[in-house]
Amino acid sequence: MNAPDPIIRIENVSKFFGPLRALNHVSLSVAAGEKVVIIGPSGSGKSTLLRAINRLEEIDQGRIEVDGMDITDSKTDINQVRMEVGMVFQSFNLFPHKTALQNLTLAPIKLRKTPRQEAEANGRRLLRKVGIEEKADVYPARLSGGQQQRVAIARSLAMNPKIMLFDEPTSALDPEMIGEVLDVMVNLAREGMTMVVVTHEMGFAREVADRVVFMDQGEILEVGTPQHFFENSQHPRTQRFLKQIL
Amino acid sequence: MEQQDIVIDVGEGAAIPSKKDFGLFSAWRISFFGALAILAYLIVFKPKPYLTIIKFLPDGILVTFQVTFAAIAFSLVLGLITGMGRISKNRVINIVASTYVEVVRGIPLLVQLFYIYYALGRFVRVPDMVAAVIAMSFCYGAYMGEVFRAGIASIDRGQTEAARSLGFNPTQTMFYVVLPQAWRTILPPVGNEFIALLKDTSLVSILAVADLLRRGREFASESFLYFETYTMIALVYLLITLLLSKLVSIMEEKLKYYERS
Repeated sequence: MNAPDPIIRIENVSKFFGPLRALNHVSLSVAAGEKVVIIGPSGSGKSTLLRAINRLEEIDQGRIEVDGMDITDSKTDINQVRMEVGMVFQSFNLFPHKTALQNLTLAPIKLRKTPRQEAEANGRRLLRKVGIEEKADVYPARLSGGQQQRVAIARSLAMNPKIMLFDEPTSALDPEMIGEVLDVMVNLAREGMTMVVVTHEMGFAREVADRVVFMDQGEILEVGTPQHFFENSQHPRTQRFLKQIL
Repeated sequence: MEQQDIVIDVGEGAAIPSKKDFGLFSAWRISFFGALAILAYLIVFKPKPYLTIIKFLPDGILVTFQVTFAAIAFSLVLGLITGMGRISKNRVINIVASTYVEVVRGIPLLVQLFYIYYALGRFVRVPDMVAAVIAMSFCYGAYMGEVFRAGIASIDRGQTEAARSLGFNPTQTMFYVVLPQAWRTILPPVGNEFIALLKDTSLVSILAVADLLRRGREFASESFLYFETYTMIALVYLLITLLLSKLVSIMEEKLKYYERS
Protein backbone atom coordinates (compact mmCIF):
# COMPACT_ATOMS: atom_id res chain seq x y z
CA MET A 1 0.00 0.00 0.00
CA ASN A 2 2.88 2.38 0.70
CA ALA A 3 3.87 3.53 -2.77
CA PRO A 4 7.41 4.84 -3.03
CA ASP A 5 6.28 8.40 -3.73
CA PRO A 6 3.26 9.36 -1.71
CA ILE A 7 1.32 12.35 -3.08
CA ILE A 8 0.59 13.53 0.46
CA ARG A 9 3.18 13.10 3.18
CA ILE A 10 2.30 14.25 6.68
CA GLU A 11 5.23 13.99 9.07
CA ASN A 12 5.04 14.39 12.81
CA VAL A 13 2.52 17.21 12.69
CA SER A 14 1.28 19.00 15.80
CA LYS A 15 -1.19 21.84 16.10
CA PHE A 16 -2.32 23.75 19.16
CA PHE A 17 -5.47 25.74 19.77
CA GLY A 18 -4.31 27.65 22.81
CA PRO A 19 -3.47 25.03 25.43
CA LEU A 20 -5.43 22.39 23.52
CA ARG A 21 -3.41 20.01 21.39
CA ALA A 22 -5.58 19.52 18.30
CA LEU A 23 -3.01 17.38 16.52
CA ASN A 24 -0.40 15.40 18.40
CA HIS A 25 2.57 14.15 16.37
CA VAL A 26 0.45 12.90 13.49
CA SER A 27 2.08 11.13 10.55
CA LEU A 28 0.26 9.80 7.51
CA SER A 29 1.09 9.20 3.86
CA VAL A 30 -1.35 8.92 1.00
CA ALA A 31 -0.38 7.36 -2.31
CA ALA A 32 -1.58 8.70 -5.65
CA GLY A 33 -4.97 7.21 -6.45
CA GLU A 34 -5.50 6.05 -2.90
CA LYS A 35 -8.75 6.67 -0.99
CA VAL A 36 -8.29 7.32 2.70
CA VAL A 37 -11.26 7.76 5.01
CA ILE A 38 -10.68 9.44 8.36
CA ILE A 39 -13.16 8.70 11.12
CA GLY A 40 -13.34 9.50 14.79
CA PRO A 41 -15.44 11.27 17.39
CA SER A 42 -16.02 15.00 17.08
CA GLY A 43 -13.13 17.04 18.37
CA SER A 44 -10.69 14.28 17.51
CA GLY A 45 -8.73 16.52 15.14
CA LYS A 46 -9.79 14.83 11.90
CA SER A 47 -11.07 18.01 10.25
CA THR A 48 -8.03 19.93 11.47
CA LEU A 49 -5.76 17.33 9.89
CA LEU A 50 -7.66 17.48 6.61
CA ARG A 51 -7.61 21.27 6.56
CA ALA A 52 -3.88 21.24 7.27
CA ILE A 53 -3.30 19.43 3.97
CA ASN A 54 -4.15 22.59 1.98
CA ARG A 55 -3.01 24.91 4.77
CA LEU A 56 -6.44 26.26 5.64
CA GLU A 57 -5.11 25.33 9.08
CA GLU A 58 -1.55 26.38 9.86
CA ILE A 59 0.38 23.75 11.79
CA ASP A 60 2.77 24.47 14.64
CA GLN A 61 5.18 21.55 14.26
CA GLY A 62 6.06 19.01 11.64
CA ARG A 63 6.06 18.96 7.89
CA ILE A 64 3.48 18.39 5.16
CA GLU A 65 4.37 17.67 1.58
CA VAL A 66 1.73 17.73 -1.15
CA ASP A 67 2.55 16.64 -4.69
CA GLY A 68 6.25 17.09 -4.00
CA MET A 69 5.86 20.60 -2.56
CA ASP A 70 6.58 21.36 1.07
CA ILE A 71 3.56 23.43 2.07
CA THR A 72 4.99 24.20 5.50
CA ASP A 73 7.83 26.05 3.77
CA SER A 74 6.94 29.74 3.62
CA LYS A 75 8.63 29.99 0.21
CA THR A 76 6.13 27.59 -1.33
CA ASP A 77 3.37 29.35 -3.27
CA ILE A 78 0.41 27.89 -1.42
CA ASN A 79 -2.01 29.10 -4.10
CA GLN A 80 -0.25 26.89 -6.65
CA VAL A 81 -0.64 23.92 -4.33
CA ARG A 82 -4.30 24.67 -3.67
CA MET A 83 -5.05 24.71 -7.39
CA GLU A 84 -4.12 21.02 -7.40
CA VAL A 85 -6.09 20.16 -4.26
CA GLY A 86 -9.88 20.35 -4.38
CA MET A 87 -11.80 20.79 -1.16
CA VAL A 88 -15.44 20.08 -0.38
CA PHE A 89 -16.91 21.59 2.78
CA GLN A 90 -19.64 20.49 5.13
CA SER A 91 -21.53 23.73 4.48
CA PHE A 92 -21.01 23.66 0.67
CA ASN A 93 -19.80 27.29 0.57
CA LEU A 94 -21.01 27.90 -2.96
CA PHE A 95 -20.70 31.50 -4.11
CA PRO A 96 -24.29 32.75 -3.76
CA HIS A 97 -23.83 35.63 -6.22
CA LYS A 98 -22.87 33.25 -9.02
CA THR A 99 -24.99 30.70 -10.89
CA ALA A 100 -24.10 27.03 -10.61
CA LEU A 101 -22.15 27.21 -13.86
CA GLN A 102 -20.40 30.45 -12.88
CA ASN A 103 -19.37 28.79 -9.62
CA LEU A 104 -17.58 26.20 -11.74
CA THR A 105 -15.99 28.58 -14.23
CA LEU A 106 -14.77 31.38 -11.94
CA ALA A 107 -11.53 29.76 -10.79
CA PRO A 108 -10.54 28.16 -14.14
CA ILE A 109 -11.08 31.46 -15.98
CA LYS A 110 -9.32 33.66 -13.43
CA LEU A 111 -6.60 31.31 -12.25
CA ARG A 112 -5.92 28.88 -15.08
CA LYS A 113 -6.71 31.52 -17.73
CA THR A 114 -8.97 29.02 -19.49
CA PRO A 115 -10.93 30.70 -22.31
CA ARG A 116 -14.53 31.32 -21.20
CA GLN A 117 -16.09 29.06 -23.83
CA GLU A 118 -13.85 26.18 -22.94
CA ALA A 119 -14.42 26.70 -19.21
CA GLU A 120 -18.18 26.75 -19.74
CA ALA A 121 -18.15 23.62 -21.89
CA ASN A 122 -16.09 21.85 -19.27
CA GLY A 123 -18.36 23.23 -16.53
CA ARG A 124 -21.47 21.86 -18.23
CA ARG A 125 -19.78 18.51 -18.70
CA LEU A 126 -19.01 18.36 -14.97
CA LEU A 127 -22.54 19.40 -14.03
CA ARG A 128 -23.81 16.58 -16.23
CA LYS A 129 -21.42 14.24 -14.48
CA VAL A 130 -22.87 15.14 -11.07
CA GLY A 131 -26.37 14.89 -12.53
CA ILE A 132 -27.60 18.50 -12.49
CA GLU A 133 -26.83 19.90 -15.90
CA GLU A 134 -30.30 21.44 -16.05
CA LYS A 135 -29.49 23.68 -13.05
CA ALA A 136 -26.50 25.35 -14.74
CA ASP A 137 -28.04 28.81 -14.79
CA VAL A 138 -29.67 28.66 -11.38
CA TYR A 139 -28.37 30.51 -8.30
CA PRO A 140 -27.40 28.35 -5.30
CA ALA A 141 -30.27 29.71 -3.18
CA ARG A 142 -32.66 27.81 -5.44
CA LEU A 143 -30.87 24.46 -5.12
CA SER A 144 -31.46 21.79 -2.50
CA GLY A 145 -28.64 20.91 -0.11
CA GLY A 146 -27.76 17.77 -2.06
CA GLN A 147 -27.71 19.69 -5.32
CA GLN A 148 -25.55 22.42 -3.79
CA GLN A 149 -23.04 19.90 -2.54
CA ARG A 150 -22.88 18.23 -5.95
CA VAL A 151 -22.22 21.64 -7.54
CA ALA A 152 -19.53 22.21 -4.91
CA ILE A 153 -17.85 18.93 -5.83
CA ALA A 154 -18.05 19.87 -9.52
CA ARG A 155 -16.61 23.30 -8.70
CA SER A 156 -13.53 21.66 -7.19
CA LEU A 157 -13.24 19.23 -10.11
CA ALA A 158 -13.33 22.13 -12.57
CA MET A 159 -9.79 23.00 -11.51
CA ASN A 160 -8.77 19.48 -12.54
CA PRO A 161 -7.14 18.73 -9.18
CA LYS A 162 -4.88 15.80 -8.39
CA ILE A 163 -6.30 15.36 -4.91
CA MET A 164 -9.79 15.85 -3.47
CA LEU A 165 -10.37 16.56 0.21
CA PHE A 166 -13.84 16.09 1.70
CA ASP A 167 -14.66 17.59 5.09
CA GLU A 168 -17.82 15.85 6.32
CA PRO A 169 -19.54 16.42 2.96
CA THR A 170 -22.85 14.86 3.97
CA SER A 171 -23.16 16.01 7.58
CA ALA A 172 -25.26 19.07 6.79
CA LEU A 173 -27.63 17.21 4.48
CA ASP A 174 -31.13 15.89 5.03
CA PRO A 175 -31.00 12.07 5.08
CA GLU A 176 -32.76 11.67 1.73
CA MET A 177 -30.06 13.72 0.01
CA ILE A 178 -27.02 11.94 1.38
CA GLY A 179 -27.24 9.14 -1.21
CA GLU A 180 -27.00 11.41 -4.24
CA VAL A 181 -23.81 13.03 -2.92
CA LEU A 182 -22.23 9.73 -1.93
CA ASP A 183 -22.99 8.34 -5.40
CA VAL A 184 -21.00 11.16 -6.95
CA MET A 185 -18.13 10.49 -4.57
CA VAL A 186 -18.17 6.74 -5.26
CA ASN A 187 -18.00 7.41 -9.01
CA LEU A 188 -15.12 9.79 -8.48
CA ALA A 189 -13.30 7.14 -6.48
CA ARG A 190 -13.82 4.58 -9.27
CA GLU A 191 -12.21 6.97 -11.73
CA GLY A 192 -9.03 6.82 -9.70
CA MET A 193 -9.07 10.19 -7.94
CA THR A 194 -6.88 10.50 -4.87
CA MET A 195 -9.32 11.18 -2.05
CA VAL A 196 -9.06 11.98 1.65
CA VAL A 197 -12.50 11.94 3.24
CA VAL A 198 -13.58 12.88 6.74
CA THR A 199 -16.99 11.34 7.25
CA HIS A 200 -19.38 9.50 9.53
CA GLU A 201 -20.73 7.44 6.63
CA MET A 202 -19.40 4.00 7.51
CA GLY A 203 -21.07 2.44 4.47
CA PHE A 204 -19.02 4.73 2.25
CA ALA A 205 -15.83 3.91 4.15
CA ARG A 206 -16.48 0.18 3.76
CA GLU A 207 -17.22 0.44 0.06
CA VAL A 208 -14.63 2.94 -1.11
CA ALA A 209 -11.72 3.24 1.31
CA ASP A 210 -8.36 1.63 0.67
CA ARG A 211 -7.47 2.54 4.22
CA VAL A 212 -9.46 3.75 7.18
CA VAL A 213 -7.80 6.01 9.73
CA PHE A 214 -9.23 6.30 13.23
CA MET A 215 -8.41 9.45 15.16
CA ASP A 216 -9.11 10.42 18.75
CA GLN A 217 -7.83 13.33 20.85
CA GLY A 218 -5.52 14.60 18.14
CA GLU A 219 -3.83 11.27 17.50
CA ILE A 220 -4.07 8.55 14.91
CA LEU A 221 -4.88 5.44 16.93
CA GLU A 222 -5.36 2.93 14.18
CA VAL A 223 -4.93 2.58 10.42
CA GLY A 224 -6.11 -0.34 8.38
CA THR A 225 -8.17 -1.73 5.53
CA PRO A 226 -11.94 -1.40 5.97
CA GLN A 227 -12.15 -5.12 6.49
CA HIS A 228 -9.56 -5.12 9.24
CA PHE A 229 -11.11 -2.05 10.67
CA PHE A 230 -14.74 -3.01 10.91
CA GLU A 231 -14.22 -6.66 11.76
CA ASN A 232 -10.97 -6.85 13.57
CA SER A 233 -10.04 -3.49 15.09
CA GLN A 234 -7.40 -3.70 17.79
CA HIS A 235 -7.67 -0.52 19.81
CA PRO A 236 -10.32 -0.48 22.56
CA ARG A 237 -11.22 3.15 21.75
CA THR A 238 -11.80 2.23 18.11
CA GLN A 239 -14.03 -0.62 19.19
CA ARG A 240 -15.98 1.64 21.51
CA PHE A 241 -16.42 4.26 18.77
CA LEU A 242 -17.60 1.70 16.24
CA LYS A 243 -20.03 0.23 18.72
CA GLN A 244 -21.53 3.67 19.28
CA ILE A 245 -22.11 4.54 15.67
CA LEU A 246 -22.83 1.21 13.95
CA MET B 1 -25.27 29.04 3.90
CA GLU B 2 -28.09 31.31 4.84
CA GLN B 3 -26.83 34.75 5.39
CA GLN B 4 -28.48 37.03 7.81
CA ASP B 5 -29.33 40.40 6.49
CA ILE B 6 -27.27 42.67 8.61
CA VAL B 7 -28.61 46.17 8.75
CA ILE B 8 -25.98 48.78 9.26
CA ASP B 9 -27.74 51.83 10.60
CA VAL B 10 -25.51 54.81 10.62
CA GLY B 11 -28.40 57.01 11.61
CA GLU B 12 -27.63 59.81 9.23
CA GLY B 13 -29.05 60.95 5.94
CA ALA B 14 -32.59 60.65 4.80
CA ALA B 15 -34.44 57.43 5.39
CA ILE B 16 -34.41 55.24 2.32
CA PRO B 17 -37.93 54.29 1.30
CA SER B 18 -38.69 50.63 0.85
CA LYS B 19 -41.97 49.07 -0.07
CA LYS B 20 -41.95 47.04 3.12
CA ASP B 21 -42.11 50.16 5.23
CA PHE B 22 -45.39 51.59 4.11
CA GLY B 23 -45.30 54.56 6.44
CA LEU B 24 -41.95 55.73 5.15
CA PHE B 25 -42.91 55.01 1.59
CA SER B 26 -45.91 57.30 1.82
CA ALA B 27 -43.86 59.85 3.71
CA TRP B 28 -41.51 59.93 0.77
CA ARG B 29 -44.39 60.60 -1.61
CA ILE B 30 -45.91 63.27 0.59
CA SER B 31 -42.59 65.06 1.06
CA PHE B 32 -41.58 64.83 -2.56
CA PHE B 33 -44.83 65.83 -4.20
CA GLY B 34 -45.53 68.36 -1.46
CA ALA B 35 -42.18 70.06 -1.99
CA LEU B 36 -42.66 69.92 -5.75
CA ALA B 37 -46.15 71.46 -5.48
CA ILE B 38 -45.01 74.28 -3.20
CA LEU B 39 -42.05 75.02 -5.45
CA ALA B 40 -44.23 75.09 -8.55
CA TYR B 41 -46.87 77.22 -6.83
CA LEU B 42 -44.33 79.81 -5.68
CA ILE B 43 -42.63 80.02 -9.05
CA VAL B 44 -45.84 80.27 -11.06
CA PHE B 45 -47.89 82.52 -8.83
CA LYS B 46 -45.19 84.56 -7.16
CA PRO B 47 -42.50 84.76 -9.83
CA LYS B 48 -41.23 87.82 -8.06
CA PRO B 49 -39.09 87.05 -6.13
CA TYR B 50 -39.20 83.25 -6.31
CA LEU B 51 -38.51 82.82 -10.02
CA THR B 52 -35.65 85.29 -9.72
CA ILE B 53 -34.21 83.31 -6.82
CA ILE B 54 -34.47 79.94 -8.54
CA LYS B 55 -32.76 81.31 -11.65
CA PHE B 56 -29.87 82.35 -9.45
CA LEU B 57 -29.29 78.86 -8.07
CA PRO B 58 -28.32 76.39 -10.89
CA ASP B 59 -24.62 77.28 -10.72
CA GLY B 60 -24.68 76.48 -7.03
CA ILE B 61 -26.50 73.19 -7.55
CA LEU B 62 -23.84 72.21 -10.04
CA VAL B 63 -21.06 72.99 -7.58
CA THR B 64 -22.86 71.07 -4.82
CA PHE B 65 -23.07 68.04 -7.11
CA GLN B 66 -19.45 68.37 -8.17
CA VAL B 67 -18.24 68.46 -4.58
CA THR B 68 -20.57 65.59 -3.65
CA PHE B 69 -19.57 63.27 -6.47
CA ALA B 70 -15.86 63.98 -6.21
CA ALA B 71 -15.94 63.48 -2.45
CA ILE B 72 -18.02 60.31 -2.71
CA ALA B 73 -15.61 58.80 -5.25
CA PHE B 74 -12.56 59.53 -3.13
CA SER B 75 -14.18 58.52 0.13
CA LEU B 76 -15.30 55.20 -1.36
CA VAL B 77 -11.72 54.38 -2.29
CA LEU B 78 -10.44 55.64 1.05
CA GLY B 79 -13.23 53.76 2.81
CA LEU B 80 -12.42 50.49 1.06
CA ILE B 81 -8.75 50.81 2.02
CA THR B 82 -9.65 51.79 5.58
CA GLY B 83 -12.20 49.00 5.94
CA MET B 84 -9.71 46.39 4.76
CA GLY B 85 -7.08 47.96 7.02
CA ARG B 86 -9.41 47.66 9.99
CA ILE B 87 -9.76 43.91 9.50
CA SER B 88 -6.13 43.40 8.52
CA LYS B 89 -4.09 40.93 10.55
CA ASN B 90 -1.10 43.21 10.05
CA ARG B 91 -0.91 45.12 13.31
CA VAL B 92 0.62 48.31 11.92
CA ILE B 93 -1.93 48.64 9.12
CA ASN B 94 -4.72 47.84 11.54
CA ILE B 95 -3.63 50.47 14.06
CA VAL B 96 -3.15 53.16 11.40
CA ALA B 97 -6.62 52.52 9.97
CA SER B 98 -8.30 52.35 13.36
CA THR B 99 -6.63 55.51 14.60
CA TYR B 100 -7.68 57.38 11.48
CA VAL B 101 -11.29 56.37 12.05
CA GLU B 102 -11.13 57.24 15.73
CA VAL B 103 -9.62 60.68 15.15
CA VAL B 104 -11.97 61.64 12.35
CA ARG B 105 -15.02 60.53 14.27
CA GLY B 106 -13.96 62.62 17.24
CA ILE B 107 -13.77 65.94 15.43
CA PRO B 108 -16.80 67.83 14.11
CA LEU B 109 -16.89 68.00 10.33
CA LEU B 110 -16.97 71.78 10.31
CA VAL B 111 -13.84 71.94 12.43
CA GLN B 112 -12.15 69.41 10.13
CA LEU B 113 -13.08 71.49 7.13
CA PHE B 114 -11.55 74.60 8.63
CA TYR B 115 -8.51 72.71 9.81
CA ILE B 116 -7.72 70.98 6.55
CA TYR B 117 -8.47 74.13 4.59
CA TYR B 118 -6.09 76.28 6.59
CA ALA B 119 -3.52 73.51 7.16
CA LEU B 120 -3.38 72.92 3.41
CA GLY B 121 -3.23 76.65 2.80
CA ARG B 122 -0.13 76.84 4.93
CA PHE B 123 1.90 74.60 2.62
CA VAL B 124 0.24 74.60 -0.77
CA ARG B 125 -2.12 76.91 -2.49
CA VAL B 126 -4.99 74.78 -3.80
CA PRO B 127 -8.29 76.01 -5.19
CA ASP B 128 -11.04 76.27 -2.57
CA MET B 129 -13.02 73.61 -4.33
CA VAL B 130 -10.14 71.10 -4.16
CA ALA B 131 -9.56 71.83 -0.48
CA ALA B 132 -13.25 71.27 0.16
CA VAL B 133 -13.24 67.93 -1.67
CA ILE B 134 -10.11 66.77 0.17
CA ALA B 135 -11.60 67.66 3.54
CA MET B 136 -14.95 66.02 2.83
CA SER B 137 -13.29 62.87 1.45
CA PHE B 138 -10.97 62.60 4.42
CA CYS B 139 -13.85 62.76 6.83
CA TYR B 140 -16.29 60.55 4.94
CA GLY B 141 -13.54 58.04 4.13
CA ALA B 142 -13.52 57.16 7.83
CA TYR B 143 -17.30 56.70 7.94
CA MET B 144 -17.18 54.64 4.75
CA GLY B 145 -14.37 52.60 6.28
CA GLU B 146 -16.70 51.48 9.05
CA VAL B 147 -19.39 50.61 6.53
CA PHE B 148 -16.96 48.55 4.46
CA ARG B 149 -15.57 46.85 7.54
CA ALA B 150 -19.02 45.79 8.67
CA GLY B 151 -19.97 44.73 5.15
CA ILE B 152 -16.89 42.57 4.70
CA ALA B 153 -17.29 41.08 8.18
CA SER B 154 -20.88 40.11 7.33
CA ILE B 155 -19.70 37.62 4.70
CA ASP B 156 -19.43 34.06 5.96
CA ARG B 157 -15.88 32.81 6.55
CA GLY B 158 -16.70 29.73 4.50
CA GLN B 159 -16.79 31.94 1.40
CA THR B 160 -13.21 33.01 1.95
CA GLU B 161 -12.15 29.43 2.70
CA ALA B 162 -13.83 28.12 -0.45
CA ALA B 163 -12.13 30.75 -2.58
CA ARG B 164 -8.73 30.25 -0.96
CA SER B 165 -9.00 26.48 -1.33
CA LEU B 166 -9.54 26.93 -5.08
CA GLY B 167 -6.25 28.81 -5.25
CA PHE B 168 -7.37 32.46 -5.13
CA ASN B 169 -4.97 34.72 -3.24
CA PRO B 170 -6.35 37.08 -0.55
CA THR B 171 -6.75 40.02 -2.95
CA GLN B 172 -8.53 37.95 -5.60
CA THR B 173 -10.74 36.47 -2.90
CA MET B 174 -11.68 39.96 -1.76
CA PHE B 175 -12.53 41.26 -5.23
CA TYR B 176 -14.12 38.18 -6.84
CA VAL B 177 -15.93 36.66 -3.89
CA VAL B 178 -16.24 38.82 -0.77
CA LEU B 179 -16.85 42.35 -2.07
CA PRO B 180 -19.46 41.40 -4.71
CA GLN B 181 -21.49 39.89 -1.89
CA ALA B 182 -20.68 42.58 0.65
CA TRP B 183 -22.10 45.23 -1.68
CA ARG B 184 -25.57 44.10 -0.77
CA THR B 185 -24.95 44.91 2.88
CA ILE B 186 -22.84 47.92 2.11
CA LEU B 187 -25.07 49.70 -0.38
CA PRO B 188 -27.87 50.91 1.92
CA PRO B 189 -25.51 52.57 4.41
CA VAL B 190 -23.33 53.87 1.57
CA GLY B 191 -26.48 55.39 0.10
CA ASN B 192 -27.18 56.98 3.44
CA GLU B 193 -23.66 58.35 3.64
CA PHE B 194 -23.99 59.64 0.11
CA ILE B 195 -27.09 61.62 1.00
CA ALA B 196 -25.60 62.79 4.28
CA LEU B 197 -22.52 63.92 2.39
CA LEU B 198 -24.61 65.88 -0.07
CA LYS B 199 -26.26 67.71 2.79
CA ASP B 200 -22.96 68.25 4.56
CA THR B 201 -21.51 69.89 1.47
CA SER B 202 -23.54 72.91 2.55
CA LEU B 203 -20.78 73.41 5.12
CA VAL B 204 -18.28 74.16 2.37
CA SER B 205 -20.14 77.36 1.63
CA ILE B 206 -18.13 78.74 4.53
CA LEU B 207 -14.91 78.04 2.63
CA ALA B 208 -15.80 80.42 -0.19
CA VAL B 209 -16.99 77.56 -2.39
CA ALA B 210 -19.94 78.77 -4.45
CA ASP B 211 -22.25 75.88 -3.70
CA LEU B 212 -26.04 75.95 -3.48
CA LEU B 213 -26.15 77.45 0.00
CA ARG B 214 -23.45 80.00 -0.78
CA ARG B 215 -25.34 81.19 -3.84
CA GLY B 216 -28.41 81.58 -1.68
CA ARG B 217 -26.50 83.59 0.90
CA GLU B 218 -25.12 85.85 -1.83
CA PHE B 219 -28.57 86.45 -3.20
CA ALA B 220 -30.08 87.05 0.23
CA SER B 221 -27.43 89.52 1.30
CA GLU B 222 -28.00 91.60 -1.80
CA SER B 223 -31.75 91.46 -1.87
CA PHE B 224 -32.45 91.16 1.88
CA LEU B 225 -35.03 88.49 1.00
CA TYR B 226 -33.73 86.05 3.61
CA PHE B 227 -36.92 84.11 4.25
CA GLU B 228 -37.81 83.73 0.58
CA THR B 229 -34.32 82.69 -0.42
CA TYR B 230 -33.88 80.09 2.29
CA THR B 231 -37.33 78.70 1.53
CA MET B 232 -36.17 77.97 -1.99
CA ILE B 233 -32.81 76.61 -0.82
CA ALA B 234 -34.50 74.22 1.60
CA LEU B 235 -36.96 73.03 -1.03
CA VAL B 236 -34.21 72.39 -3.57
CA TYR B 237 -32.09 70.44 -1.06
CA LEU B 238 -35.13 68.42 -0.04
CA LEU B 239 -36.05 67.51 -3.61
CA ILE B 240 -32.49 66.48 -4.47
CA THR B 241 -32.16 64.40 -1.32
CA LEU B 242 -35.48 62.66 -1.87
CA LEU B 243 -34.63 61.87 -5.47
CA LEU B 244 -31.31 60.40 -4.43
CA SER B 245 -32.85 58.25 -1.73
CA LYS B 246 -35.24 56.89 -4.31
CA LEU B 247 -32.35 56.11 -6.60
CA VAL B 248 -30.55 54.25 -3.83
CA SER B 249 -33.61 52.14 -3.05
CA ILE B 250 -33.94 51.18 -6.72
CA MET B 251 -30.29 50.12 -6.86
CA GLU B 252 -30.77 48.15 -3.67
CA GLU B 253 -33.62 46.18 -5.25
CA LYS B 254 -31.46 45.42 -8.27
CA LEU B 255 -28.67 44.01 -6.12
CA LYS B 256 -30.95 41.37 -4.66
CA TYR B 257 -31.06 39.43 -7.93
CA TYR B 258 -29.49 36.25 -6.66
CA GLU B 259 -31.80 35.87 -3.68
CA ARG B 260 -34.94 35.56 -5.70
CA SER B 261 -36.25 32.05 -5.88
